[in-house]
Amino acid sequence: MTKLDFGKLFASLKALDYRKLLSDYGNVLVLLILCVVMSFATVKEQPATSPAAAEELASLVLSENGKGAQVMVLVRGGKKGAGPKFAKNLERSLEEVGLNVVANVQGSPRDSRIALRDHPKDQPLAAVVTDQHIAVFCAEQLPGLAKENPALAQSKRYSPTKHTWPVFLKIDNLRNVLKQIAVVAVIAIGMTLVIITGGIDLSVGSLIAFSAVITALSIDHLGGTDPTTSHLLLGSLAGVVACALIGMGTGGLVTVFKIPAFIVTLGVMFIARGLAFLCLEKPNGLPIGNEEAFKWLGSGADFGLHNSVVLMLILYVLAHIMMSRTSIGRYVYAVGGNPEAARLSGVPVKRVLVFVYLLCGLLAGLGGVMTASLQMSGDPKAGNLVELQVIAAVVVGGTSLAGGKGKIFGTLVGALIIGVIKNGMNLASIEGKKQDVIFGTVILIAVLVDQLKARLR
Amino acid sequence: MNLKKFFLTSIAMGAALLMAGCGGSGEGDAKSGSGGGSGGGDASGSGGGDVSAGPSGSNEVKGVIAYTPQTLSNPFFSVIGDHLRAEAEKNGYEVLMVDPDYDVKKQSEQMDDFIVKDVTAIVLVPCDRIAVGPAVKQANDAGIPVFTVDSKCAAEGAKIEGHVGTDNFQGGELAGQAMIDALGDAGGKVLVLDLKRANSCVLRVDGFKKVINAHNEGRTSGIIDIVAELDGNGDNTKGYQSTADALQAHEDLDAIFAINDPSALGAYAAVEEANRQDHIKIIAFDGMPEGKQAIKKGQIFAEPIQHPDKMGRQIVQLIMKYQAGEDFTQETLIPATLYTKADADQDPDLK
Repeated sequence: MTKLDFGKLFASLKALDYRKLLSDYGNVLVLLILCVVMSFATVKEQPATSPAAAEELASLVLSENGKGAQVMVLVRGGKKGAGPKFAKNLERSLEEVGLNVVANVQGSPRDSRIALRDHPKDQPLAAVVTDQHIAVFCAEQLPGLAKENPALAQSKRYSPTKHTWPVFLKIDNLRNVLKQIAVVAVIAIGMTLVIITGGIDLSVGSLIAFSAVITALSIDHLGGTDPTTSHLLLGSLAGVVACALIGMGTGGLVTVFKIPAFIVTLGVMFIARGLAFLCLEKPNGLPIGNEEAFKWLGSGADFGLHNSVVLMLILYVLAHIMMSRTSIGRYVYAVGGNPEAARLSGVPVKRVLVFVYLLCGLLAGLGGVMTASLQMSGDPKAGNLVELQVIAAVVVGGTSLAGGKGKIFGTLVGALIIGVIKNGMNLASIEGKKQDVIFGTVILIAVLVDQLKARLR
Repeated sequence: MNLKKFFLTSIAMGAALLMAGCGGSGEGDAKSGSGGGSGGGDASGSGGGDVSAGPSGSNEVKGVIAYTPQTLSNPFFSVIGDHLRAEAEKNGYEVLMVDPDYDVKKQSEQMDDFIVKDVTAIVLVPCDRIAVGPAVKQANDAGIPVFTVDSKCAAEGAKIEGHVGTDNFQGGELAGQAMIDALGDAGGKVLVLDLKRANSCVLRVDGFKKVINAHNEGRTSGIIDIVAELDGNGDNTKGYQSTADALQAHEDLDAIFAINDPSALGAYAAVEEANRQDHIKIIAFDGMPEGKQAIKKGQIFAEPIQHPDKMGRQIVQLIMKYQAGEDFTQETLIPATLYTKADADQDPDLK
């Protein structure tokens, strides 16, 4: 029986069309390779702050100082910092083994200094246990402090052991990568549709700024410095709708007057950017009130991932369904493949075109609201050159600029590739201008490969 | 064919990343050279032995100071960076320098990366004083102290531990005084090239106007009249355009105050084109090498200069005080000083 199953499995594996698989999912592989390379490029010695490391450290302190010895825990603070988490584990482990934790200080070096200075002079402190930041402080300052407070004279210093781990693969960093591409990836959905129809939209970067400014202004008008949640929603809606209308106008100019999309959107790009600046008195961002509520979209994280990332994923699923299961999706491909043939076979070409530009504008507006939420302000400088990143994501994702071909999920992978490259290069401390060169090279390679694929088919 | 695609792509990516890797490690080597010296003598002395299982502080880098200015392509910020690095390495810290290219989104993402890297401190020149706020708050939440240089952060609730900047208002007053010296008793018509989006530059114009208004008070002749205030965008191109336009509108222009060197040099190009360079006096601001050179050549009359070298060093000194848990004054303003042709003629840096 088992032999037979293996045979079948082998046969089915053999039957798989690897070429097609690679063609369809080639960029997923590229993404994985990139992730591996970035992991190796960012391997670094880091302090071990896991519960296990805390236990290990506690038993070391115990073995050298004996039960009941007085110890102090000192770490760098921060509401969501790594220090307090480590301190909590540390305190538990130290008390479990029978040491006496007299203080658990989480804050700046100054807080540590005060705690050490104020430690009772008649109770010798056996040890201070710190994270790697406060360890530096203690190494430099403890001798001096000991002169003022004799209880510190015999204090030994302990800090965590080190382990080697790629910075890139830290959970926080992977979440950052997703958060950083969310805006680009959302707009790239609209851009994919536009490019599949054979067009282009250069205005999305400026629309981000326009939407962010309209959103901030509307919220300011509705609720002043202390807007309610409904003010925030209405303001955001205003930003999105304004950009959707602009997108519709763009689509109209492209279809009715048959002006090339490149030209129309170039014009809209300048107009929207200029309007964004004109709407505000100062070129600084206009702050948005009610931070607790408004930051939900940009930097909130209710589902493990950031909310903006969840929104992005939902939009991708919806767009995928639209493009693969509905007639509008087939129309978009048809218009891009051969507009004349599409028209003759009854596809409402003009309406489809207006729709894709409207959708692209709408998503750019949404991207603007996301940006405003990330920055808690409407910044007319926002979204500078983002249009090029969006186009890059679409192209790297395998959509042909000639139109007619492209996949929604390919674009998501394209956006991820761009995000991973940028993040990895930042983590590897590569200088800015070198980053530009590498980034440009990767885009060129992607397009080159696309061309080769088309020619060899 | 598709296999070919895959191989081509992966090879190319590999090559690109290899380049990346080389760049990274090269930089690392350059940094690791220093930083050993100062952490040395801690184990001896009264504070008890160092039994730490981890960093002993003797040969290791004590931490990382991350620097994100508005851009590194403006020499002003790279000079701050160079001196920041020198001072930090003297104290045993590594410096991580990145370039957000005036883009606050990029700057915020760089701050995210600093947090992931768990750096010791962040030195920031905000690309936008409001929009950078959430990124600063995230650093606050991670317990990483944030310091600003040159420009301040004005976002509500964002905690900045310390600031070092130029006293721009005082610098503007110096510029106003230089303008009075340049025009003498005759007075004249003045064009101001401003940059309203930068708060520092607004202060310069305010200080300038204060001195000019005080000069004009009660005078009937020899008044210094600011006939136009145009956007110079702080760059050469726009400085040139705005000045060329102003020269059309005001044929009898006598002097120009530009809020920085690049826009002043643009203004000079326009003045030269109109062949008015013998009459129109230009006062600039900054003290970049190009600006000083122009003063030596007599193209610019004089300018208050900033001291980015001091800024870079003093911000690190603040961080060291923070690290030692000492008290320090939160804000240090470094006075600008006036730089004239006499200074330029004796400046050993100019040839």
